[in-house]
Amino acid sequence: MSEFPDNVGVNQRATFGPWHCFWNTCMQDNQPPLTELFFNPKNVGEARHPSFIGRAASFQCGATLRISLHINDSQRIVEAKFKAAGCSVLVASTSLLTEQVLGKTTGEAAALGQTVRLIEAQLGPVETARTDCPGLACEALVAAIREYSDAIRDSWEGDQALICTCFGVSERRIEQEIHEHHLTTVAEVTRACNAGAGCRSCYPLIEDILDDCQRGKW
Amino acid sequence: MIYLDNNATTRVAPEVFEAMRPYLTETYGNPSSAHSLGQRMKSAVERAREQVAELIGAAEISEIVFTSCGSESDNWAIGGFLEQNPTRRHIITTRVEHEAVRNLCTHLAEIGCEVTWLDVNESGQLDLDDLRRVLRRETGIVSVMLANNETGVLFPIEEVGKIVRQNSDAVFHVDGVQAVGKIPINLKELEVDLFALSGHKLHAPQGIGALYIRSGVKLPPFIIGGGQEQGRRAGTSAVPNIVALGAACELARNFDEHERIEGLRDKLEDEILERIPNARLNGPSDRNRRLPNTSNISFEYVEGENILLHLDQAGICVSTGSACHSTTKESSPTLRAMNVPYTAAQGSIRFSLGRYNTEQEIDYTLEVLPGIISKLVEMSPYDKELQALSMRQR
Repeated sequence: MSEFPDNVGVNQRATFGPWHCFWNTCMQDNQPPLTELFFNPKNVGEARHPSFIGRAASFQCGATLRISLHINDSQRIVEAKFKAAGCSVLVASTSLLTEQVLGKTTGEAAALGQTVRLIEAQLGPVETARTDCPGLACEALVAAIREYSDAIRDSWEGDQALICTCFGVSERRIEQEIHEHHLTTVAEVTRACNAGAGCRSCYPLIEDILDDCQRGKW
Repeated sequence: MIYLDNNATTRVAPEVFEAMRPYLTETYGNPSSAHSLGQRMKSAVERAREQVAELIGAAEISEIVFTSCGSESDNWAIGGFLEQNPTRRHIITTRVEHEAVRNLCTHLAEIGCEVTWLDVNESGQLDLDDLRRVLRRETGIVSVMLANNETGVLFPIEEVGKIVRQNSDAVFHVDGVQAVGKIPINLKELEVDLFALSGHKLHAPQGIGALYIRSGVKLPPFIIGGGQEQGRRAGTSAVPNIVALGAACELARNFDEHERIEGLRDKLEDEILERIPNARLNGPSDRNRRLPNTSNISFEYVEGENILLHLDQAGICVSTGSACHSTTKESSPTLRAMNVPYTAAQGSIRFSLGRYNTEQEIDYTLEVLPGIISKLVEMSPYDKELQALSMRQR
């Protein structure tokens, strides 16, 4: 009683006949990650303290969502958890998203959070009424990262110049990264220490630092 | 499969299928034809008309007209009246009607009719003084459902009918789709002019309905064509479906297990409300004011669609009033009219039982449901609210 009746007809068809390949592909397509992720979502709960929290809610359907992140000293997300009261698509999207930001720097995660289609593509087909749901997951992620950045900025002390205000990266930190790893482009700097991963308004500053470094300091 | 969604539709009863089977296989003919085959079909249709009339207590058999579904009956009743009386454009109805009436009246309001919507209170009941206040001598039609499809709340049709008769010349239409077969109905004793019913809610197949038109009430045909149904509803009679509706009505009339179903519903409802801290009943706790088979329960702060999918995976079919599961992205208008908080409306589940449900099925549902709810409660971002609820429960 607790189980669905086996879909014998379909399974039999998958094993023989000219439709063999078609059915096999179909069966895989019909079992998108969405269903599996909904019934067995990953990362439900709260990240350990200190955590940074992002919330999102839909004014259209009333779904609410909270993502909490635990971020280590090198700005990597070591724990990403969520709680949601929303539809199956929201639960699946958030499960997928939290899984994918694990181990990423906050900058990389922010970039992922701004590319909703990457998550959408992995979910498989979603009915048109639900196309906003993956976006809601991304919104909460970006909000959590923003809270982290705000905290970094607020706690900023010391006399060093702050170059990347989104991710709180100082001039000295950028110089260190350039020297240690012989970096030559802004993209390399961003990868190394998150500087420039947010709003990008510090790109010219990072370029100046790169120029200075190349000109003579080493 | 445990089917607790009998307000959505019901399984065709084997007895009903057996009754209609000959008309899908060996017996055929157009009941409008004069030859013997046709005449045999005609008498089958007339027999079914008797069976329907008998179930709802119509004074005359000819007061029953077959339609294709409940929505057609509702549309015909209201639309037909307005066609007949184009100047009597004041309509009174409730905010919690089925879409067949509610959306029709919304549309009529857009094209120039005056629609007065009656509110309901927090347990979904009408205030008859509201009706007395808005009813005018020249009001054209009053349309009030007998039983609400989502909550099972019963409206006092007898009193509504009397008020309408005493205070106006209005025609009184009742959407009885959800009530027929579930509670006794005797139209002879009610001041009802038009009454809609649908076959698939009482174990006939989908695609057959009927409209009761009190003798003396004039209603122009909704479908114009041949002279079927005494010229009131054209289109070749769907004999197998009509026979099925007749058989279903007779089956319902002889059904003697209403108390058993009510007992199962009561058990389900009581145990859910007792064992699950965030469960709350939508509708009056006085069960005499509700259909004997329906329980609408909100699980606060969790999403109804998620409950539905988890129950489905466990082999249990229910409905939800959550926005996520409808096409409109809005939660149930019935629950909103009852002022159910949004966080509760989103987690509403309708359990509607039927003649084939067993005690084991209810026990199994009670076994799996608490686990599903607690899993979703764990996932809910409303932790503080949920904590407060479980504290109160203790």
